[in-house]
Amino acid sequence: MLSRRSVLVQLPAVGLAGSYALRAFAADKTVTVGINLPFTGADAHDAQLIKQGALLAIDDANAKGGPGGYKINVLVLDDGTATAGQYDPAQAATNARKMVADSSVVAAIGPQMSGSGKAMAPILSQGNLATITPSSTNPDITNPKFASTYMPAGKAIYFRTVTTDAFQGPNMANYMADTLKIKSVYVLDDSGAYGVGIANAYEEQAKKRGINVMGHDQLDPKEADYTTILTKVKSMNPDALYYGGVAQAGVKVVKQSYDILPKIIRAGGDGVYGAEILKGAGFPAAQGLYATIAAPDLLANPDSEPFVKAFAAKYGEQPENYSITAYDAALVLIDAIERVAKSGKPVDRNAIRDAIQESQAKTLQGVVSFDKNGDITSRVVSVFQITQDPKYPADDVLHQYKYVGVAPASA
Amino acid sequence: MGWEAVYLQQVINGLSLGAMYALLALGFTLVYGILELINFAHFNVFMVGSFVGMAALELFGLSGQTQILTGFPLVGVMTFAFIATLSVAGALGVIIERFALRPLRGIPGTVGMITTIGVSYILFNIVLLTVGAGSWNFPNPLPRISWPIGGATLELRSLLIWIIALVLMTGLHLFVNKTRLGKAMRATAQDAEAARMMGVDVDRVIVTAFFLGSALAGAAALIFGLYYNYTSFIIGYTAGLRAFTAAVLGGIGSVTGAMVGGLIIGLIEALGGQLIAVRWTDVIIFSILVLVLVFAPTGLLGRANPTKS
Amino acid sequence: MAERDTAAPRQGTIGAEVFAFLRRASPLARVAPHVRPRIGITLVFAFALLFPLIIDRNDADIDSAANALAFAALALGLNIVVGFAGLLDLGYAAFFAIGAYAYGVFASAQFMPAWSGFWEPFAWLQLVERFHQDSGGDLVHFTVSFWLMLPLSAGLAAFFGVLFGAPTLRLKGDYLAIVTLGFGEIVPIIARNWPSVTNGAMGLNGVAAPRFLGQSFGISATPYYFVGMGLIALLIFTSTRLKLSRIGRAWMAIREDEIAAAAMGVNRVKFKLLAFAIGAAFAGATGTFYVAKLQTATPEMFMFPVSVMILVMVVFGGIGSVWGVVLGAIILQILQSWFLEDLSQWLHALGRLIGVEWLQRIELASSIELIFGIILVTMMLYRRQGLIPATRRVQALSLAEQTATVELAAAPPAQRLRAIGDITFRGDEPLLDIKGLTVRFGGLVALREVGLTVPPRSVVAVIGPNGSGKSTLFNAVTGLVAPESGNVRFAGYPIERQPPHVVLGRGMARTFQNIRLFPNLTVLENVMIGMHARLHTGAVGALLRLPATQREEAAARAHCLDILALFGNRLIPRVDHVVSSLSYANRRRLEIARALASNPKLLLLDEPTAGMNPAETLELAGQIKNLNQHGLTIVLIEHKLDVVVSLADNVIVLDHGEKIAEGPPDVVRRDEEVIRAYLGRSAAIGSAAVA
Repeated sequence: MLSRRSVLVQLPAVGLAGSYALRAFAADKTVTVGINLPFTGADAHDAQLIKQGALLAIDDANAKGGPGGYKINVLVLDDGTATAGQYDPAQAATNARKMVADSSVVAAIGPQMSGSGKAMAPILSQGNLATITPSSTNPDITNPKFASTYMPAGKAIYFRTVTTDAFQGPNMANYMADTLKIKSVYVLDDSGAYGVGIANAYEEQAKKRGINVMGHDQLDPKEADYTTILTKVKSMNPDALYYGGVAQAGVKVVKQSYDILPKIIRAGGDGVYGAEILKGAGFPAAQGLYATIAAPDLLANPDSEPFVKAFAAKYGEQPENYSITAYDAALVLIDAIERVAKSGKPVDRNAIRDAIQESQAKTLQGVVSFDKNGDITSRVVSVFQITQDPKYPADDVLHQYKYVGVAPASA
Repeated sequence: MGWEAVYLQQVINGLSLGAMYALLALGFTLVYGILELINFAHFNVFMVGSFVGMAALELFGLSGQTQILTGFPLVGVMTFAFIATLSVAGALGVIIERFALRPLRGIPGTVGMITTIGVSYILFNIVLLTVGAGSWNFPNPLPRISWPIGGATLELRSLLIWIIALVLMTGLHLFVNKTRLGKAMRATAQDAEAARMMGVDVDRVIVTAFFLGSALAGAAALIFGLYYNYTSFIIGYTAGLRAFTAAVLGGIGSVTGAMVGGLIIGLIEALGGQLIAVRWTDVIIFSILVLVLVFAPTGLLGRANPTKS
Repeated sequence: MAERDTAAPRQGTIGAEVFAFLRRASPLARVAPHVRPRIGITLVFAFALLFPLIIDRNDADIDSAANALAFAALALGLNIVVGFAGLLDLGYAAFFAIGAYAYGVFASAQFMPAWSGFWEPFAWLQLVERFHQDSGGDLVHFTVSFWLMLPLSAGLAAFFGVLFGAPTLRLKGDYLAIVTLGFGEIVPIIARNWPSVTNGAMGLNGVAAPRFLGQSFGISATPYYFVGMGLIALLIFTSTRLKLSRIGRAWMAIREDEIAAAAMGVNRVKFKLLAFAIGAAFAGATGTFYVAKLQTATPEMFMFPVSVMILVMVVFGGIGSVWGVVLGAIILQILQSWFLEDLSQWLHALGRLIGVEWLQRIELASSIELIFGIILVTMMLYRRQGLIPATRRVQALSLAEQTATVELAAAPPAQRLRAIGDITFRGDEPLLDIKGLTVRFGGLVALREVGLTVPPRSVVAVIGPNGSGKSTLFNAVTGLVAPESGNVRFAGYPIERQPPHVVLGRGMARTFQNIRLFPNLTVLENVMIGMHARLHTGAVGALLRLPATQREEAAARAHCLDILALFGNRLIPRVDHVVSSLSYANRRRLEIARALASNPKLLLLDEPTAGMNPAETLELAGQIKNLNQHGLTIVLIEHKLDVVVSLADNVIVLDHGEKIAEGPPDVVRRDEEVIRAYLGRSAAIGSAAVA
């Protein structure tokens, strides 16, 4: 028994010693950038792809000596917990405090999910620590109406290299009304924070455009069987089916709607844009699905070609759309650090925040600038349709999702 | 689609779902009948079974739903897949019984159930950590045939579920009622002490119950994969809760009860979703569970009494 | 079978020697045993209070510590339900959610009904604010104070605790768990589907931070940490006070053996609901605290995995042990939020060093649920009592004590036993009057039209072959079984169909054929539970430990020791020993002592000398006669006819549920029907010659 006890004592001691050993690093001219993503749970794979996109830019910059001579040190934090099975707002809040408390952290990239963003924003605001998110699209966080909640210190700190669901959902409704000539639609969402938000925004605009919204129901992403609701939808015979939500339920919606509603037009937000849908639903089920992203078409931009190649070479897998927005976020950060360093001001988080606010950085999306709330000024929503290209592997996002145009903004 | 057609379709959907829940509930109720143990791990054995089934089918180079087989190759592949899935699932059940539950046999209270929660977590997380949280495209070589019935559609896959479920349930019924081991199981379920004194090898009976129950979960899992063309680490969760309610509704410990309960729950899910909204299905199912346990604990056909201490 | 509940190494190993040496050498050895825990607690609290200063003001670590305190509070609450009362609640997170959302709704801009005159007084009390909109009417903005909301949430959660607990009262362990699981799932689903109040899946935002002396807590973690400390201290205090009181004993009796608890006067319904209510209240208060710190609430924060995590903390720390579950919660939180990450980094470094690939990618933090599962299984298999067991280790009896000659007290102090058998009604009405009692179990008639009168101060024996319905008679009379028909009057009151604890309250106590003691409680605790119905301390009294309560406890203790003294030095030296370590005969005696503790007028003894050797039988028979001489009326089921003959004034004989004979022992003994019932027809003929 004593030996068992001694192990219990020794193991933590060893762990502690090891971690302290790690914390000693040479510190001449370095800055730390936090990367906060849900590496545990349902979104783990997407989080990896985002991190890799950001790291591609950061590693490149470091290889060239670092922006303004400052090497960038990366502090990776996980805001997913096993108990939540996905991102956990409490963990995100703790991570935000960690970054704010660490004076070497000058800026952050992330979070991935808006639920985390809501918990983090007030803390980041009070610490005046800017973060650039490549994928959080819930509009509340940068909405001036809620500024007292999310920006209590007054200045914008939640910057995005994507636009918000205030545009993604409604613009798709416009696209469906104008281009696809949809007259009736049934809306589904996956009961998650993102899905409910985008589906509601879509529905509101669809109604304004005169589309008959025949119903709106919520799916349980853990449930396997959606035949009940899809049969119900079939009986109402709408022109289209709009799904707001992520891939966990999305895959099943795509698969089962192919069986039950083969002729219906199916559309969704950026939650159904990605390799997961292709892999999980496969062909022929995924064929014809429309998906939007809250950014201009990035992968088709010829400047993106070298990025895609470099990404695939370094990480052995294809990047996703948010890998690019993460890469862009890192570029904005790197540009900000460089400008502050060049101006001779101390490279601290206050200066970096201001620099990000003034950003005119050149990225794969073009020139990125932010409005006074932190939202990206470009509000382009791009529409894609899955069209099988047999020359490429079935889960190759770049080649299976075909760009079909811009979703028009609301009048 | 006229409203009669919709309801007919929902009934077909409900009965297919129900058959799956019945199979899953059967395995669960077998163990409960003998050990009076609520085995939480059962539903994650089901989940593991579906991945085993997927692997078995992929051994033949199958992937996706576009590679169709017919005739002998189809029968051969299916038989192999079934045997593989049932065996592995059954073996997993036996292992769980042997190492996690047998040492605790005879200890009153909820110790056993708590242990099965732990085992369930272990299975769930091992799968999650190895295959990840994504959805998997289940290979399905069955041809896509369907028949129109009065405005609704009956697909081959529904028919398949009913036939397989019927065959398995009949097989189980015959086994329990006509074989010696089956008789031994029934005796042990009624009074383990007396059975032991009559020369019944109670250990063997319990192992058999676990094997059969888990094998049935495996069968349910393979059917599940072929029906939905999908599997993922999470499928044990909701299917489990529904199947559990089915077992309780039908009368926990009763084989016929599990079958009846499964079909009823399937129909409630389908018709409830049609008439009300799918977002309330979980609340409806849980309410049924609570109401049955509180007001009619023996369920429809059961004999076990949950109010006895 | 006595279970080893010791945490110390086995005697004789080197580890034991070292351990014993350390123990002797440490400064703690110089301090008296009863003072040690107090010093320990003081040190722990001092460390905890200074923690934020020691930790170099790293806000994130203080935040993690505050989270750990929240989960420790939840573990304490679940410990009351699962650990004290033995009710496995798998949906405990529901109460956490209720407390969280209650504060969230009443302290944010989420729920804003239209303003009207009705809200004026609330505005004056500063519970709401009038929010002016530029368009549309004014709205109500809830601004209830955090400090006010703490007890209100606790109360609201307690209400739901009773609501969710009520349906489970008659269910056995695992079914109770399932029903609570059901409720635990329903609550977050309702939260998700009620967006007007809870903002549904998108989560409540902008929950106001607490204000203290005009200052808002803001986002610094330190004030929350101290509030958390206060909450934990309060909850530990409450738990410990309740545990060591009449309430705690009642809960533990219910946990150990519900039927025996009822038969000893514990009102099961009331105490189970009380456990649910208090456990839920802990969670409700913690929910408010947690949400105030996080300033957001989403349905995913309160689902089944959270309930399981709290259960793992309780199981790991020690079911029923207050400090154990706090320790368990803190260890698991530290593991989750800090240790596993650091260990992963260390493994990465190691992987880089020795060039092993997978080591560099391993992420232990995401396998925390796997670890929970492993902990549950391992704990259940190998250490069910947890890290810090709830039962204390007691010094073993010395050899001298074990082999001491049995000494019975010369004569029990008459005045202290005065209360026993104290009969205040007049006349020669029978104390117990049973008429036409019929009990049916399905198709089987266990008792058919049985009648019996028991005069006060008499001893009546009930005899009969096995299966004749004797124990059923006891069960029907004491309320454990409902009769189909018949009347039972006790001291003039009709008691058929009354619940067992009411019957005990009236003055009828019993023992059980198969001995139903409370196995994990000590001898003294068992007897004290017998006094449950005669004591009056409630939850409030237990918490405050008023002088009246202390007097009552001391008197109760003295009374119980007196009763134990009836059995001389058999039980007194073993007063703090756990029942499972007693010999069979001592257990029988203890059960009688427990029944006597309730100051009964009538004592029902079900085969009290079963399993005893002739000497012990004689001794017990003598003690029973003694009690009868002190005024206690006794009804006795016995198989040993010499005991019956020596004790009983009147004997009734049951066979197949019917009374076949009644009368003084000598007469009944020779009755042909009786002999036939016991021995068969031919024996009846034969014994007519023998007798």
